[in-house]
Amino acid sequence: MKRREVLKTGIGVAAALGIPHIAFSQARPVKVGLLLPLTGPFAFAGQAGLEGFRDAAEYVNEVLGGIGGRRFELVVEDTGYDVAKATAAFNRIVSRERPEELLFVYGDSTGTAKALAPEVTRLGLPFSATSFSSELADPEKYPTIYVFGPTYNDMFEALLRQIRRTKGRARVALVYSNTEFGRDPIPYAKKRAPELKMEIVHEEVTPPSLTDATPIVLNLRRANPDFVLLQGYALSAEPLILRTAREQGLKASFMGTYYSAELALIQRAGPAAEGFIVTYHNPYWYDSLNQGVQELRRFRQSKGRDVSYRTTYYMGGAAAIFTIAEAMRRAAQAGKLNRAGLAEYLEKISDYTAFGLSQGYRFVNHRLPYTKLYRANVKDGRFDAITDWITLG
Amino acid sequence: MDILPYLLGGLGNGALYSLLALGFVLVYRATSVVNFAIGEFLLVGAYLTYTLSLRLPLSLALLLALPLAFLFGLLVERGFVRPLLGRNVVAVIMATIGLAAALDGGVLLVWGADLKYFPTGLPELGFGLGGLYLSSRAVWSFLLGAPTALFLLWLLQKSRYGVLVRAISESEVAALALGIPTRRLLALVWGLSGALATLAGAMVAVAGGLGPNLVLMGLKVFPVAILGGLDSVGGAVVAGLFLGVIEALSQRFLEPLLPGFTEAVPFLLVFLVLLVRPYGLFGQREIERV
Repeated sequence: MKRREVLKTGIGVAAALGIPHIAFSQARPVKVGLLLPLTGPFAFAGQAGLEGFRDAAEYVNEVLGGIGGRRFELVVEDTGYDVAKATAAFNRIVSRERPEELLFVYGDSTGTAKALAPEVTRLGLPFSATSFSSELADPEKYPTIYVFGPTYNDMFEALLRQIRRTKGRARVALVYSNTEFGRDPIPYAKKRAPELKMEIVHEEVTPPSLTDATPIVLNLRRANPDFVLLQGYALSAEPLILRTAREQGLKASFMGTYYSAELALIQRAGPAAEGFIVTYHNPYWYDSLNQGVQELRRFRQSKGRDVSYRTTYYMGGAAAIFTIAEAMRRAAQAGKLNRAGLAEYLEKISDYTAFGLSQGYRFVNHRLPYTKLYRANVKDGRFDAITDWITLG
Repeated sequence: MDILPYLLGGLGNGALYSLLALGFVLVYRATSVVNFAIGEFLLVGAYLTYTLSLRLPLSLALLLALPLAFLFGLLVERGFVRPLLGRNVVAVIMATIGLAAALDGGVLLVWGADLKYFPTGLPELGFGLGGLYLSSRAVWSFLLGAPTALFLLWLLQKSRYGVLVRAISESEVAALALGIPTRRLLALVWGLSGALATLAGAMVAVAGGLGPNLVLMGLKVFPVAILGGLDSVGGAVVAGLFLGVIEALSQRFLEPLLPGFTEAVPFLLVFLVLLVRPYGLFGQREIERV
């Protein structure tokens, strides 16, 4: 037997015996580039997300046996939540890594995702981001960009429908940060509200961080809305707005989207968070009956890692990696483990739910139009689901 | 009557701005150094307070954090400023930019990136009067900001230390030559700056929570300090209150016409004031004879 044949047999035996480390050593890895805000103002989200990405990547290699015998690797770069730094990091990764190995890139913000969109499209590189911007979910313009969740428009649609169910002819106010993230769903909300027979009675644009919310809440009090929708803060301003609203005696109900759905909001806002309604599309760590949560919990336990509460950013990161890895696995089985093949199989994994971490990857216009609504329960310090899955068309 | 709640809210927030700017102005006054790490001073101070508040009531934690922050200021002075004593002031300014990056990383290493919140608050002092409500945070900002500003004004204008600090500010080299204990005084100034930033940082963090993004609040220092005059303690107080009120009024009257405009208001004001008074509203006019 020739040396090469001996090696091939050895790799096969190693893989069959479940020793992926030995099997992986001969094959080139497949890589996912991650551009995350590991420093800077959103380091809390970036670092928590990275933990989820890493746990899931280790799970893929150690439990699922990698991708068709190839090791699944993450290439991580810090962006500091800065579009210029993220663009430089993207260029570094793309120029350093081999195109046949780097099959997917995950970016860190609406700004970054929009800046990189033309280039990832030119490269035919499958791409997603922490952003749920509606502009990215456009397969005609950006055929390789996927939004792993509902867009901000979808989230607002779910909230507006909830308002419609709660009160006919409701008065709605929009409070949002003066950022791409904040402005994204506002035109949709302004168009959709009259169709649902509600009135947008006030609009408030603010900086993304605040030292005081008094004038904002005073303006809201003058407008006297029934509901206030917050967008574009990622916990930087919501607690202050909620506390001030309570102090100033504002009676309106507050609502927010995915990035407001973290327990830190309840901890920071205290009793003022009671009843705050959010959209969220992964399970919480405390949803102990969810199979994905159980798997991740068991895996972390086996590694001797902390199994106390993991954030929504962790859940989102883990779900994204499981999905990318599954699409890669299916592409590999079809002999198409390359960028085009991965994009093709991302379109075809509608039956996959990432162990229940997602409702399912039935992409409609490259986004997943499903979410649930949760309500803040201050006494228990958690968000409780108040709806089943809402399909957003 | 409609405008009164906005004025009160603006003054409350302005008192916080003043508090933010005092530590910055004090250092500039003594050393002509623009401390670009002032946001990180706030951050470190707030995290120190948070750590103590895990075991102590917040008011006590804040009291204990102040001397620790003073020590932190001393350490910064010893490590970054003193080695550059007598050199061009630009060297120290560049050092503060490096210091800011180092402190950002240091805070992440020590306290981690996750969002934190204070387990307890300061005693509730908010009160309502008719249809008006003044928040507890605004009352605390007044209560802490007013005596602090008065003390600093007295220290700089009336005390012997103030005269010596002003002498150093005039000419560091001449002060050294005249035997003024320049090193000790500069250490004192940096220490005080650390304590003041802690007071402001803790006040902001108590209301909205604590995380690395608190560093962005440091950016508010610059328009306040420049507007008041970089070297004027009284100017920082007045400019802080003024900016707070202007922002609140802009949110009320201009925002409906020009959404997002309020964010630009402080910088627009600075621009307009600098056109007329390049040394700020209360800054010392420097006359250079060539």
